[in-house]
Amino acid sequence: MTIDLTGPTQKPMRLRRVLAIDPTHRGFGFAVLETPDRLVDWGVVHVRSDTHAGCMKRIGQLIEHHQPTVIVTEDGEAEGSRRGTRVRKLIAAVQRLTLDLGARSAAVSLTKTRHAFSRSDPVTKYDIVVAIAERFPELRPVLPRRRKCYMSEDERTTIFQAVAYATSPL
Amino acid sequence: MDVFDTSTMKGVPDRYAFSFPIQMASQPKRLPNYLRMYRRRACLTQAEVARLLGNHDGANVSRYERYKRKPSLETALGFCAIFREPITELLAGTYDDAARVIRGRTRQLALKVRQTNPTRRTILKLESLDRISNQ
Repeated sequence: MTIDLTGPTQKPMRLRRVLAIDPTHRGFGFAVLETPDRLVDWGVVHVRSDTHAGCMKRIGQLIEHHQPTVIVTEDGEAEGSRRGTRVRKLIAAVQRLTLDLGARSAAVSLTKTRHAFSRSDPVTKYDIVVAIAERFPELRPVLPRRRKCYMSEDERTTIFQAVAYATSPL
Repeated sequence: MDVFDTSTMKGVPDRYAFSFPIQMASQPKRLPNYLRMYRRRACLTQAEVARLLGNHDGANVSRYERYKRKPSLETALGFCAIFREPITELLAGTYDDAARVIRGRTRQLALKVRQTNPTRRTILKLESLDRISNQ
C-alpha cells in the first residue's frame, strides 16, 4: 500500500501516528497506527521487576522509536473502569510524559471503545478482537482462541485492545 | 543535579526512566523505514529475512529495523524483492529526506539557470527542474 503524502498542486497531508498502550499485569500491549489506516507495529512487552519503572522505560523507547503524534491509553478514571491503583498510576505517568514531550494525549474509556464497534448490540471483548483481526489481517496470526470460563485472558488480547483504543474516535 | 542508580532504576522519576532526553521530531514525518512492518506482515523472522538476503544471522536486519544502520543498495533492492514493495515505500523516511534536499538544490539550480540567456534547451531544462521540485 502506497501512501501519497504530496501531490503536484496539493499541500502535504498531515501525518498522524498513534501509539496506543494497554497495561497488563506484567507489562503492556501496544499498537502503532499511521494515517490513514496502517498498522505499523504491535506487540506485548513483558517487564520483569519494578513494573512501573520498567514499563516507563519501554514506553519511552517506543516513543523514541516511533515518534507518535498522539498517545492513547485507557481512561482509568472513567465510570466503570476496573483498573487498579498501579495501572492508573502508570496511565497518569504516560499522560504526563506525553505532555512533557509536546505530543497529544488521549484517554479512551472501555465503554466508548465498545460503542465504537457496535452501537446497538452489546459486544464482548472477543467480538472486538475478531472485528479488529478482520480489519487488520496481519493480526490474524496472533488471534487468540475464544476464552472459556475456566481460562485466564490470553495476553495477546491486549494487542487488540490497544488497536481498539487507537481506532476509537478521539 | 539529580543522580540516579540507572542499573536498578529505583527511585528514578518517570521522565528519566529511559534514554534521556527523548528526541521528538519537530514535525511528524514518515519513519526512516518500514522494514519491520512488512516483515511482520509476511510472518517472517529477522533470521529468515537475513537468510533470504544471503546473511548468516539477523543482526543486520535488526540494525536496519531499529534505524541504527542504513542498508546498502543491494540489500535495499533485496528487501524490495522479498516484500514486493517499491523502495520509496520501504525506506520511506530516508527517501523523503533525500527528496527534500534534492528539491532545495533544484530550486537553487533553477534560479541560476534563469539568469542565463533563454534558449530552447534552457526552457526544457527549467521544465524538468520544475517537475523535480514539485514532486
